[in-house]
Amino acid sequence: MPLEQHSDPFEEQLSAGMRHAAGAFETDRAALVTTGAARGRRRLLLRRRAAVAGGAAGLALVGVGGALLLPGAGSRTDRTSVAADSRHPSASPSAAPSPVSGDSLIRTLEKLLPSGKFSGAEARGTDEGAPYVHLVFDDGKGAAAVGVGLGRVQPGSDQARQVTECPGKAYAHYDTCGTSRLPDGSVVMVLQGYEYPDRRVDTKWWNAELVSPQGHHVSVSEWNAAAEKDAPITRSQPPLTPAQLKHIASAAAWRDAIDAMPEDKKKPTAEPSATESTAFAPVAPTLKSLLPKGLTVSESSGEDSGFGYVVADDGKGRSLVQVNVQAGMADVAGDLFGSGAETLPDGTRVAVHQGPGEKGGAGVVMWTVDTLRTDGTRVVISAFNSGAQDTAATRKTPVLTIAQLRSIALSPKWFL
Amino acid sequence: MWQVRADEYAEFAAVRAGHLYRSACLLTAGDTHLAEDLVQETLGRLYVSWRRVARVENPAGYAQTVLLRTFLTHQRRRSSTERAMEVLPDRPDDGAGRDMPLRLTLLEALARLPAKDRAVVVLRYWEDRSVEETAQVMNVSSAAVRTRCVRALGRLRELLGEDLGEYARP
Repeated sequence: MPLEQHSDPFEEQLSAGMRHAAGAFETDRAALVTTGAARGRRRLLLRRRAAVAGGAAGLALVGVGGALLLPGAGSRTDRTSVAADSRHPSASPSAAPSPVSGDSLIRTLEKLLPSGKFSGAEARGTDEGAPYVHLVFDDGKGAAAVGVGLGRVQPGSDQARQVTECPGKAYAHYDTCGTSRLPDGSVVMVLQGYEYPDRRVDTKWWNAELVSPQGHHVSVSEWNAAAEKDAPITRSQPPLTPAQLKHIASAAAWRDAIDAMPEDKKKPTAEPSATESTAFAPVAPTLKSLLPKGLTVSESSGEDSGFGYVVADDGKGRSLVQVNVQAGMADVAGDLFGSGAETLPDGTRVAVHQGPGEKGGAGVVMWTVDTLRTDGTRVVISAFNSGAQDTAATRKTPVLTIAQLRSIALSPKWFL
Repeated sequence: MWQVRADEYAEFAAVRAGHLYRSACLLTAGDTHLAEDLVQETLGRLYVSWRRVARVENPAGYAQTVLLRTFLTHQRRRSSTERAMEVLPDRPDDGAGRDMPLRLTLLEALARLPAKDRAVVVLRYWEDRSVEETAQVMNVSSAAVRTRCVRALGRLRELLGEDLGEYARP
């Protein structure tokens, strides 16, 4: 955060006094985080309910789509209430085609699906926020939830690439995933996975994500149950084949609906922060370049900066290595670097943690080197003695030593 | 990429929760229950749009902004309570009758400011934001921030005295 200079001694003292007063407050952070995430999940659900109640009145609410259907498009954390959301889009009277109603989106999906029975349809039109359709489809072999979410992404952006990029096996369990390019230049990813990545319930979730060259983003999902979560499995597989999913995702009607969405001019503006515009290198390629010779990398994340990982092997077993690069972390230095932390001559702080893994893989250990530069940039690297955090240990120790982790974290190559 | 995103969110939330909580404690003038509630709500909002939040240049600053706006919304909903706080008397005999310092503590003093004034003070003097940034976070003009700031500082001087040295001692 930019540091303000206060000229008045009273203001200086007030600043110091507030730091002192605030520093005295402690709480169970883990509990805060857990409850916060739970609220987020509930919030998604409530927002869908609010949209249904306020918009397409009279539609029954059966089965509620989740975050995966609505990848952030149109959501606005900066608006302070659910009610405020619906007022906002009027800010942009640009010449968009006339809005497409939720009912019309439901009819579109019904037409695209094979013959069968439909129930529990729920939708949001293009002038109410992020449009979606959700219904229960039964082809005679068991009811299944099917959903479509619509949005825009910046063509060529990181986000456009990420939504059509198969997730790393180190972080997600799925059966099959593939990406292909359509004749019109659109990219589609079809993933056959599970509603719960840890498969505590075996609900299958199959999903197609399409991004067109113009930035249309269509997400089609289906399950082998009448709802995504908390519903019994009704059939062994979801009803639509991967080819059918792809076909539905590429329907022109969805793109017309996305074109009818009002431009959200406010969306790309995030927090201003002239002092924190340091550019970070893409994590996985940088990490690869910093690994000692003789390691084989079997898997790695893409070109993202901020977070990335590789799975490396020195011949003795797979080992996941992940890195976070974050700006503006100076104010939490006290939380991250305790009294045992080391301070280098240039002011960089370094902390080392060695402990058990956090995701339940049997015998998994996690070695972490956390570093904080004086400008507030944090590079934290963790290595595991397994190819994923939630699978059993594949080797005795991670593929990198603490000294190697430290030298990677302190490399200047993280900053462009 | 949802699992990677989830991990990224969890990591972010774990690291930021402490700072958000302390900010919330100042905003609520020491009401720790409300502060916890505000932080949970903030983390919930970030969760909902994490995919987008993760891409902004400064997610930490963004989180602070969400917290502040969550606080202001909360205050609007309880506007009657807020007015009651604004007209609270100064309790001059707090220290006179008992063996307590005459002046209020910093948190008590903050509690006597209207919520928006308190928010300005927290942004300017705890988060070290400029007048312009404060204005942007609060969706008001820079002039409005300056006015609130001058008024709040005057009130705090009245309540705390000119020398704040004792509150700032580590």
